[in-house]
Amino acid sequence: MADIKMLDASDRGLSAGYMMWYRFSRNPAAVIGALIVFSVIFLAVFAPFLTPYPKHVGAVVDFRARHLPPDAAHWFGTDKAGRDIFTRTIFGLRISLLLVIGVLGISVPIGAVLGLMAGYFGGWTEKFISGLTNVMLAMPPLVMALAVSNLLEPTLMNAMIAITLLWWTWHARLIYAVSKQIASEDYIEAARLAGAGPMHILFREILPNCVPVISVKTTLDAAFVILFGATLSFLGFGVKPPIPDLGSMVADGRQFMPDFWWEVLCPGAAVLYTTLGFNLLGDGLRDMFDVEN
Amino acid sequence: MQQHPLIAILTRLGTFVLVMIALSIMIFVLARVVPGDPARMALGPAATTEQVEALRQQMGLDQPLAIQYVDYIGKALRGDLGMSLVSQRPVSADLGQTVPATLELVLVSVIFMFAVAIPLGVIMAHYRDRAVDHVGRLLSLTGVTIPSFLFAITLQLIAARFLSGWPIIGRLDHSLGWTGGPTGLLILDGLLMGRPDVSLNAFQHLLLPAFALSMAGIGQITRITRSAMIENQRKDHVLTLKSFGVPERVIIFKYLLKLSSIAPLTIMGLEFASLIGNAFVIEMVFAWGGFASYGLQSILQKDLNAVTAVVLVAGLFFIVANLIVDVLITMIDPRLRRKEAR
Repeated sequence: MADIKMLDASDRGLSAGYMMWYRFSRNPAAVIGALIVFSVIFLAVFAPFLTPYPKHVGAVVDFRARHLPPDAAHWFGTDKAGRDIFTRTIFGLRISLLLVIGVLGISVPIGAVLGLMAGYFGGWTEKFISGLTNVMLAMPPLVMALAVSNLLEPTLMNAMIAITLLWWTWHARLIYAVSKQIASEDYIEAARLAGAGPMHILFREILPNCVPVISVKTTLDAAFVILFGATLSFLGFGVKPPIPDLGSMVADGRQFMPDFWWEVLCPGAAVLYTTLGFNLLGDGLRDMFDVEN
Repeated sequence: MQQHPLIAILTRLGTFVLVMIALSIMIFVLARVVPGDPARMALGPAATTEQVEALRQQMGLDQPLAIQYVDYIGKALRGDLGMSLVSQRPVSADLGQTVPATLELVLVSVIFMFAVAIPLGVIMAHYRDRAVDHVGRLLSLTGVTIPSFLFAITLQLIAARFLSGWPIIGRLDHSLGWTGGPTGLLILDGLLMGRPDVSLNAFQHLLLPAFALSMAGIGQITRITRSAMIENQRKDHVLTLKSFGVPERVIIFKYLLKLSSIAPLTIMGLEFASLIGNAFVIEMVFAWGGFASYGLQSILQKDLNAVTAVVLVAGLFFIVANLIVDVLITMIDPRLRRKEAR
């Protein structure tokens, strides 16, 4: 299907880049996903200017305003200390995005490099890296995160360090599969015959062809990292109060559950909104690059 | 590649043993090296240096780490996982009490996953790009993206609001006077001991948490089943069947479904890791009192023997699940079976 489309495109002098953009922009789910992700980033970055009560991020207590239901002044209501939940939710997005940058910023490059090496060099390098990957994949990440962060100190930071230590394996495995396939292509052989060194072949010949796969996987992973971070802080491995993060806001609100439902549902919905955005965007990118799975 | 399937499974078994060893070394080292002195922690700040030293010798902490590890594994294989510092009981006894609760929850969740996701995926593939397909995709997307705590709490809210009297926490009503059965799996025990009321009550308690726990898996497996069904429809042998005039129903249920269940099964094995992770959340929200609750508690209270055991059991859960998946796939996949005949 895609091949036919591409042929049509080149017949009419349209570039592959334009065709990708065309496919992306005609996919409503992908566009919605991109808009959601953009809105989350925008809100998180400019939170101090966009939120009605930026002071409520700190240890503000206003007992007269406790547990107010959502209204025009407090869109998401207020919490047990009378703080505006909308403000705290927007600031909570900052923590979520920082986690994404921290975890994926470290684990994706590591995973990609190891995967490339395993796929291209083969032999013992391949055996060692894929063996290590298989062992690491068998560790339930949440359990590992809980254990490690506990043994150090139960903070979100430590939990996410543990996650980073495990997360590269998924990327290593994926890039391994892709690069192994690419490594057997003729143009790699041609590059080798032309005297290209392994560094050139790995990073100039194979890596660019892995970019679609990496970017799809990374976008989808962003959603997982956000879910993970929220889950961990919900379980009590959060950032230090009073800094707002979405998971611990939900956990706090759970004590007042049936009556003050907005304290749970609003920050929870913010997590859902964000993960939904990254998922839609990731699926859209997948269709755009036309990569399998 | 041309391996006998039995050899393939044995190889996998070997890998899993290696994984277990690696996991145990890692958690053992973490538990012994990082947090300081377990003897001091057990005795508290009031103990004298001599007392601490005596306990260190008694616990074997003065030995090299490698010997301590071998010692620990030797005991663990005989069912001795040490004492829990918090409950003051053997960890194995704590696990014996809590693991069945989680096992029951996980088993029913897995049944839910397949019971919902496979038919849904088949229907979606059959009515591709029609209304059912779109609704199903929305549902599976929700399953993948919704935080499990949000879904669990929302279920509780809905049940509390619209189904008054439906149990939303715990495993069983205390009023039933149940004292425990042979397996610890309440639904099974109730049937075994002639107490169907217990089974029914346990099932009612189980329904919401199991649904909450299965939601993420339902999302994943529906997606995978749908795309596998669509992909396999184009396979030559399916087209051959079609051209022979074999009824669509027979093609779908006899040929396509079998072929298309390989991918979801594989994913299921990998999904087990996040299933165990989500069990921590679900057990907390529904006050389930299973192995994950125990794990969370022991982690928060720095109960080292318990933490070590919990991580090992969680790893074991994952590995056994994947082994079962491997065996199932070998049984289903005709390409693997043909090699057996050779």
